[in-house]
Amino acid sequence: MRTSMRIGRRAALAGMAGAALAPAAQAQAPVTLRIFTGGQQRPDVMRRILDVFQERNPGIRAEVEVGGATSDQQQQYLNTVLASRDSALDVMLIDVIRPAQWAAARWAEPLDAYLGAERDAVMARYLPAYREANIVGGRVMALPYFADAQFLYFRRDLLAKHQVAPPKTWDELSAGAQKILAAEAATSPSLRGFATAGAPIEGTVCTFLVPLWGMGGALTDAQGKLALDQAQAQRALGLWADLRAKNVTPANLAEIATDRIRVDMQAGNLIFAMQWGYAWNRFQNDADSQVKDRIGVVPLPSFAGSAPATCVGGWQLAVSAFSRNKEAAVRLVRFLSSPEVSKMQAIAASHLPVFPEVYEDAAVLAANPWFRDARAVVLGARARPVTPRYAEVSEAIRTSMNGFLAGTRTADQALAEMTQRLTPVLR
Amino acid sequence: MARVRVGPLERAERRLGYALLAPALLLLATVVLYPIATLLWTSTQQLHLAQPWLEGFVGWENYARAMDDPRFWSSLGTTLIYVAVTVPGAILCGLGLALLANLPFRVKWPVRLGLLLPWALPLVFAGLIFRWFFEYEQGLVNAGLGLLGIEKQRWLSTPDLAFVATCAAIVWKSSSFVALVLLAGLQAIPASLYEAAAVDGASAWQRFRHVTLPMLRPAIVVALIFRTITAIQTFDIPYAMTGGGPGHSTETLAMYVHRTTIDVLDFGYGSALAALMFLLSLALTSLYIRQTRRDEGGG
Amino acid sequence: MPSFRKARALAALVIVANGVIPALWILLTSMKTETELMRVPITILPDTPTIANYVRVFVDQPMLTFLWNSLAVATLSTVLCVFVSALAAYAIVRLRVPMGTLILSGIVLVSMFPLISLMVPLFQIMRTVELLNTWPALILPYAVLSMPVCTLVLASFFQDIPQDLERAAEIDGCTRLGAMWHVVVPLAGPGIFTAAILAFVNAWDEFLLALTLSPRVPARTVPVGITLYQGEFAFPWPIISAALIVAIVPICLLIVVFQERVVGGLTAGGVKG
Repeated sequence: MRTSMRIGRRAALAGMAGAALAPAAQAQAPVTLRIFTGGQQRPDVMRRILDVFQERNPGIRAEVEVGGATSDQQQQYLNTVLASRDSALDVMLIDVIRPAQWAAARWAEPLDAYLGAERDAVMARYLPAYREANIVGGRVMALPYFADAQFLYFRRDLLAKHQVAPPKTWDELSAGAQKILAAEAATSPSLRGFATAGAPIEGTVCTFLVPLWGMGGALTDAQGKLALDQAQAQRALGLWADLRAKNVTPANLAEIATDRIRVDMQAGNLIFAMQWGYAWNRFQNDADSQVKDRIGVVPLPSFAGSAPATCVGGWQLAVSAFSRNKEAAVRLVRFLSSPEVSKMQAIAASHLPVFPEVYEDAAVLAANPWFRDARAVVLGARARPVTPRYAEVSEAIRTSMNGFLAGTRTADQALAEMTQRLTPVLR
Repeated sequence: MARVRVGPLERAERRLGYALLAPALLLLATVVLYPIATLLWTSTQQLHLAQPWLEGFVGWENYARAMDDPRFWSSLGTTLIYVAVTVPGAILCGLGLALLANLPFRVKWPVRLGLLLPWALPLVFAGLIFRWFFEYEQGLVNAGLGLLGIEKQRWLSTPDLAFVATCAAIVWKSSSFVALVLLAGLQAIPASLYEAAAVDGASAWQRFRHVTLPMLRPAIVVALIFRTITAIQTFDIPYAMTGGGPGHSTETLAMYVHRTTIDVLDFGYGSALAALMFLLSLALTSLYIRQTRRDEGGG
Repeated sequence: MPSFRKARALAALVIVANGVIPALWILLTSMKTETELMRVPITILPDTPTIANYVRVFVDQPMLTFLWNSLAVATLSTVLCVFVSALAAYAIVRLRVPMGTLILSGIVLVSMFPLISLMVPLFQIMRTVELLNTWPALILPYAVLSMPVCTLVLASFFQDIPQDLERAAEIDGCTRLGAMWHVVVPLAGPGIFTAAILAFVNAWDEFLLALTLSPRVPARTVPVGITLYQGEFAFPWPIISAALIVAIVPICLLIVVFQERVVGGLTAGGVKG
């Protein structure tokens, strides 16, 4: 592992020196593909998968380039690379919310021609949400790598100790958290009740949407026009205000980013968390995990009388429109978006599969017992608005939401600000 | 100096002079003047890199949009408050450090290191370090408050406190530069002035008030100008500490420009914002320069 | 005078504490494990000091590449800047170019342009000429950024060199350029060195342009590299701290070795401006 990284670094240096002199010698075999991934999407696991690919395709080498860790930072980084029509990256792992934007900017190579006659058969195998997310305007812009959704993680040991059942509704969660916190206050003062993303990052968009959807509300109508019902949205925000008032969420919720939740829970400082699929693997396998075998995962709670909601997450593989090795890149993408790799990821990183049948695989279930119920959650998850101007949508929601969670904006003010900024974008 | 007729030797010298100036001027033209012209041109265009089909000349529209954009005004206000707080803050702290550093130390290098390190660190490093200081659960500041029996504060997610925290980082980082400039000013004050004042029976405060401060004036003006110019551009430290949050409460104009261009890829509007910022800094600096000129004329 | 000695020691303590404690705290943080960092109340000294974070700095991210890029960009931009500034300063001070002071003020005025205003068009220009994510994308602007201060420092040094020496060299048969090379350059050596240090530190520290014009890993510099460690992945504080220390130590060494020149340069460039 370590040697391969060192070689990678040397190759990067050599490549840079080469680029400085002349862009020569590109055509020579073997082909080297460069794939971009975020720090959170387990580049180490991808490296192992790529080793398998290289073994089977002796003419192709694949190198991983790791970019900023948040979805926003990655996009910021890719913006500068793609805006400069840089051909250095061949394949990019992008958030499920991006394909529309990429298609509009003409950064992704449409894959229909490469899939040819197989196109419909290939797409039919994926879970419907991912089939839809990757087809923009009738064209296949990317193929899914892994699925994701938000789940409720909880401390099985603490819930059992205080006879609290895994909550089905937000009220149960609030009551259970308060009960446990009260009982544990003396022995573990750093224990907190519940956390979700509150920092001004992409994840906070879901912190806004989950309760809104849970109440039966929507951000946009079928035409993608803003359709936010103020009263409903206010009640949705009321969920977070209430949890804060009852001291269930940490005082600094507005500073908390996705992986901070994982770190806190892993250190044994959280009872409940709204979190994506990847965290399970870290809780179970990290050397410093204090919560191995003490975590349970269930669907997110709902409001009494309505269905639970969750955000569609997940990561897609797009071929750069500026790549000089598109044929090889598509070959790699098709390998990475296969049931075989889906299974490898599920076992090594608890990444949720994009193929329905992989959820029933015995080895996958052995590593992730909670996957049994996860498929239904992923199937029921909802997508964030699809628009080429998603960057602006996300920005408006997360900053207003962050202001609200920090207590600098009342729910009214936050929603008014959000509406004012979303209206010209979502029309 | 009477102007003599330009002889062949002078002419040759002058030609050499122009030749030697040429590289510098060429570099300035390509890296500053041409880009500024590009900026002004782009600011009259609709140019959104993620929507390449929407391009064209729009005249003043981007500027009009800025006038109606509450976020432009709030980031402008934040920038000006940063200037108003961190410039005097850094000057005062820098003056204090300079006065202390002006004592005759026997071993100089530790003092020099302490004085120079904040100056030599990248701004983002200062931001990262102070972010860690002001962390909610693990920060040194909240731990210190705990010892005093004060409740933990949400430094980075309460607007006023986030502002205080970022200002602390900026002042810490920039007072080092100010101290160095003022220290040079202090060392240039002839000892005889102090001796004369002492003979007149002046107290320490009077000596400071009537000898040190007036003599230090030019150095203070220089420090003030440099500090103001950098304060208008405040970006790195809030970027590293709060990302502009909570909400937009610590977002400066520079951060808004960066977000509009690099995140959203709206280069037309972003260029208009950047051009406004350019005008703002031009206005502030010319104000200063005029002030200094007047001082020089009077003194 | 024991009271004076005490006051002096106290003054030294204040300065050193103010400058060094933040770095020291980061050093302590860098030697703790993530589990220890999550503990409440916090610990001051690491329980079981570890260097594992330092290993991860180099293994998880191509830190050596970042260091190499920073070193190369800073060095090359410094050479360019000092060369160009020295020629300009010499022309203004020694060759009586008409409107010399005006040109000097013009050069200084450049340092007042907000970087962010330059960043936006530079991004577009570098994009057109396909220089984004290469060293030249940073070297050219960095050379300009330090040009004002370098020109001022060098001008003040050139001014202090007695003109007679040059005249003497010219009488000995040197050309004007020859005189500059053989007489002025050696005498202005300390000035050139000072200017070089200032330009180097400016380039080494720059963040905004590095973040926008050259963010790709193979061309990324240290400040950007370390800042982008953070993420939705919260903040891997132990690793960031270790990376900060790796980047701060060379700066400390530079300061301790070249302190006189840095102080001299800042004051020459600052006060005369």
